[in-house]
Amino acid sequence: MAYLGASLCIWWLSGFVPWFLLPDFPFLAIVYSGLFVPGVAGFLCALPPALFREITMSSPSWSMFLGSMALYFASREIGRRFLLRSEPSLLSAVVSLLAAESFSVVLLLTLSGARPFSFLWGAQEAVRIAWTSLIAVPLFLDLSVRWRSVKE
Amino acid sequence: MGSFFRNWWRLLVAVTLLVAAIQVFVRPSTALERAEPVRAAGVALFRPVYSAADFLRGGLSGVWNRYIALVGVSRENERLRKEVTELRERLHATRDAVLENRRLKELLSYSRTIEQRTLGARVVGHDVSPWFRAIFLGTGSEAGIESGMSVVTPYGAVGRIHKVHPGLSEVLLVTDGRFAADVMVERSRVRAIAEGAGGNFCRLKYISPAQDVAVGDRIVFSGFDGSMPKGVLLGTVVSVDRPKESLFQKVKVQCSVNFQDVEEVMVILSRPSVPYRAVKD
Repeated sequence: MAYLGASLCIWWLSGFVPWFLLPDFPFLAIVYSGLFVPGVAGFLCALPPALFREITMSSPSWSMFLGSMALYFASREIGRRFLLRSEPSLLSAVVSLLAAESFSVVLLLTLSGARPFSFLWGAQEAVRIAWTSLIAVPLFLDLSVRWRSVKE
Repeated sequence: MGSFFRNWWRLLVAVTLLVAAIQVFVRPSTALERAEPVRAAGVALFRPVYSAADFLRGGLSGVWNRYIALVGVSRENERLRKEVTELRERLHATRDAVLENRRLKELLSYSRTIEQRTLGARVVGHDVSPWFRAIFLGTGSEAGIESGMSVVTPYGAVGRIHKVHPGLSEVLLVTDGRFAADVMVERSRVRAIAEGAGGNFCRLKYISPAQDVAVGDRIVFSGFDGSMPKGVLLGTVVSVDRPKESLFQKVKVQCSVNFQDVEEVMVILSRPSVPYRAVKD
């Protein structure tokens, strides 16, 4: 239901609000699963938003799904080795993952000969990364507390 | 060695998946066709969300148009009455031209019916990713839509069908970086390749400095590459740059369609004469 709500919000907003002000909720769900939900449960939680991204983005078939699952395993590794449960640590993890994903796609598109990016686009993308990361910190901290209380 | 894999298996899986994603991005694999039922299930799951979003958007714009935008309508009504009177007078004066125009329109629509069947479709969503430019249509493979078909509006070209699912189609917009098609300048008939440049713009490639292109020129599809129908408007040239060190001019085109506001489109139901690569996806 959370994914459905997020998707409804994204699609509804997509008609009115510029793309760079839309937080990437499926991305956040995947990263949260990697950072805070251990084991098979985390993997299963990451599958629906990865499929969701695959369907709602016009990337070549299955590339976004595979990329999202790579993101899940990378965030799991970060959660296991580097992450401290503090705001700066969470913020830097989410910013670096968002920036790494964006840089990878831009690099691939540029290498394939497409050049749809401009300086303005770069500024807008920076706003999107900052905005999504700022939402992620309180959201992740709140959800992790809830998840811990559910486990207890 | 075993302990290395035990310690770092997550990172190794992440790297493997990333390499696989890059491989699929660069060269779409036919082996993944077996996984299409999973995608179809996902599309079926999210199709009602698209419909709900479309319904909400329609409802909101209805409230806006019917109630909020009515403020000041009487003033506008008065102005429109005067305008209608003036237009009627003009219409009487040019009756012959109007009748001829009507005949030509009928002839044109008849020829279109014979040569190319079209299908009206509603836009139900936009691609929200920052990297790709696409829209989603609420009609899919059940209506005969196939990958590579052209999508247009009366104002100009929208793009090409990229992926088709039951009840949902994805249109790659002309402004997407992966879009390219053969075009020509309407006035001087200079040919070029139009490529998506993001925003609401395209760029024209391979126009030599000696060729005649100017700001304000209309750019239409040539139809020579078989990907888009001949004569459909792409947009208007907004800037022409002739750098001394370059072999070609840098021409920027503003698309005639505002893709954020488009609500209904027409899909031309004729297969492209050049096979579309997404078919193999």
